[in-house]
Amino acid sequence: MSIEWIGPVLASTTSIGVVYLLGSLGEIYAERSGILNLGMEGTMAIGAATSFIFTITWGHTIAFLLAGVFGMLMGLLLAFFAVSLRLNQITVGLAITMLGLGLSGFITFPTIRKTVLQTLNPELPSTALETQSVPMLPPVSLSFLKEIPIIGPMLFNHNIVVYITLILAPLMWFLLFRTSIGLKIRSVGENPGMADALGINVFRIRYLTCILSGAFSALAGAYLILGFQPFWIEGMTGGRGFITLSLIILSTWNPLRAVFGSLLFGGIEVLQYRLQLFGLGATSPQFVLMLPYAIAVITLSLLSLESFRKKMSAPATLAKPYYREE
Amino acid sequence: MFKLERRMHISRKVSSIIVFLSFLLAFFVTGVLFYFLGVNVIQFYSVICSVFITPNLLIQAVFRSIPIILASLGLVVAFRMGFWNIGAEGQMYLGMVAATGIVILHVFYEAIPVSLMLAVMSAASFLAGGAWCLIPASLKAKLGVNEILTTLMLNYIAMLFVDYLVYGPWRDPEGWGFALSVPFPDYATLTLGGHPSIAGIIISVAVATLVYILFKYTKFGFVLNVLGKSSEVAKYAGMSVGRATLLGSLISGGIAGLGGFYVVSGMIGRLRPRASPGYGYTAIIVTMLAQLNPWLILPAGIFFGGLLTAGDALQSLLRLPSSAITVFQSVIFLCIVLAEFLRRYRIVLKRWKQ
Repeated sequence: MSIEWIGPVLASTTSIGVVYLLGSLGEIYAERSGILNLGMEGTMAIGAATSFIFTITWGHTIAFLLAGVFGMLMGLLLAFFAVSLRLNQITVGLAITMLGLGLSGFITFPTIRKTVLQTLNPELPSTALETQSVPMLPPVSLSFLKEIPIIGPMLFNHNIVVYITLILAPLMWFLLFRTSIGLKIRSVGENPGMADALGINVFRIRYLTCILSGAFSALAGAYLILGFQPFWIEGMTGGRGFITLSLIILSTWNPLRAVFGSLLFGGIEVLQYRLQLFGLGATSPQFVLMLPYAIAVITLSLLSLESFRKKMSAPATLAKPYYREE
Repeated sequence: MFKLERRMHISRKVSSIIVFLSFLLAFFVTGVLFYFLGVNVIQFYSVICSVFITPNLLIQAVFRSIPIILASLGLVVAFRMGFWNIGAEGQMYLGMVAATGIVILHVFYEAIPVSLMLAVMSAASFLAGGAWCLIPASLKAKLGVNEILTTLMLNYIAMLFVDYLVYGPWRDPEGWGFALSVPFPDYATLTLGGHPSIAGIIISVAVATLVYILFKYTKFGFVLNVLGKSSEVAKYAGMSVGRATLLGSLISGGIAGLGGFYVVSGMIGRLRPRASPGYGYTAIIVTMLAQLNPWLILPAGIFFGGLLTAGDALQSLLRLPSSAITVFQSVIFLCIVLAEFLRRYRIVLKRWKQ
């Protein structure tokens, strides 16, 4: 077995991992402020579907931006139900996931997509109206850095979104743990009553993090189709939104640890393809695919043990609505 | 001006009216949404209505509603005791695995007498579904692990496990390489009375009756209800919270497992990947629409079975994707969640006073 395959494996580990990392960055903020967004899966699907359509009409940049906007709308929907109306986040989240999966399938259905595309841009050629594939984001290789063994192909031969995500992760870690706005967000998730008493606007913070989570989930979906798998299949998110939720548990609600976690999860997925190529585990790639979900269950259990709970644990009011005493 | 006022008490009647009105609201919201998406809304609703007035399609609706109804009845038990089981999907898959396992045992080793097959299969499905639900339940009872995320993650593990079985060891050796188990022999399928939906209706009504009796007449049902209201109260009253959680979730997952048994034995006649198109998730909507009442689960379930049937008709008649039905379902879901708000708060109109 030659060592040749290592480069591509590491490269695709990063490109898959970024799907999870990008999605997790917003959702970590939401969960830190006490919001569990089970709508991620559906929001991701909306992000993928809208960016698929908008790339055909107006190109990558606008597609990304608009996907983000649609994600924000989904986040706003969650915020209205879960924060303003104080409804159960689990049911609202699942409903949003269903809505997102349904709508994404609906607008990309061939006949409907054709009408949508023609309305948006009447000058499109007929091939563009029927295509299932989109042009991929071009890789921007950082010429000399790419030559470094192992780290080179892993980090320095990707599209722009990958670089931005990798830079955002430490920035968002810094914002969450080293600034006053981050402290506010975390205190809202740990003890909203106290935060409110100290003059922090609990509702505004939670609205903000809901919208942030929606935007990042949709961007992750947009990246999924534009940067990783450049053709549309209904249901292409395939549980990746929920895998992102597992990633967040594994990284104990910390954006920096999420970088490593996302590479691990990306690696697991690549490993699954590779094992099949090598004929190893060809009969049971499913057990490899189970790993992210199993890791989530195991991590959650470990975090509940007394010895761990003191050091790190889930935000105290995760998925609990806040009632202001009036 | 108007103001929100928290309700101290709500009668069952008012509560039902609110839920029903919210359900109707969903028709309106979906109509508006589809109108803007360029769908002929009147045709859309007439296709859905036609399912419930055409005998053939209605039978189809009932047929497809049975796994949803069984999963919902399981969720009634879980939700009443405050156990947020969103893992009915996975528990159904485990039920399918158990039923298929028994068939394979029989086909290849003739381990079980033919006359007992259906009984053994359903019992195995119940136990397998229940056992799958016991994992998150025991994690919750022993370690306090939040069951929402664990039940959700276990759905995917169960689904992938079914994939593994039918792509791997359980693949039919004479199945042309397709990912399917061996077809079930006649004595392992629910053919009572000519159509499988007859056996399905009998099972659903029987389970609904049992769930009703459980909560109405048994001490254990009472314990579960108290547990659902407040686990603190249950603890102070000297109830064994851990044991009740375990047994309750065994029953909850078990009933969902029966739904899985029905899918393979009554509907498909073999095990295949993704055998459930999300019955376990639809069941959550049905359970909330029926307000945890086992009798109301039956009509609510049939409505959603009808939606699935309508999905096929939409595709052939209006050239609409079946995801239109998913959108409609999700709007119903959101509206029912909204009903919870109206049940908790009263909107009071007030004259503006200086």
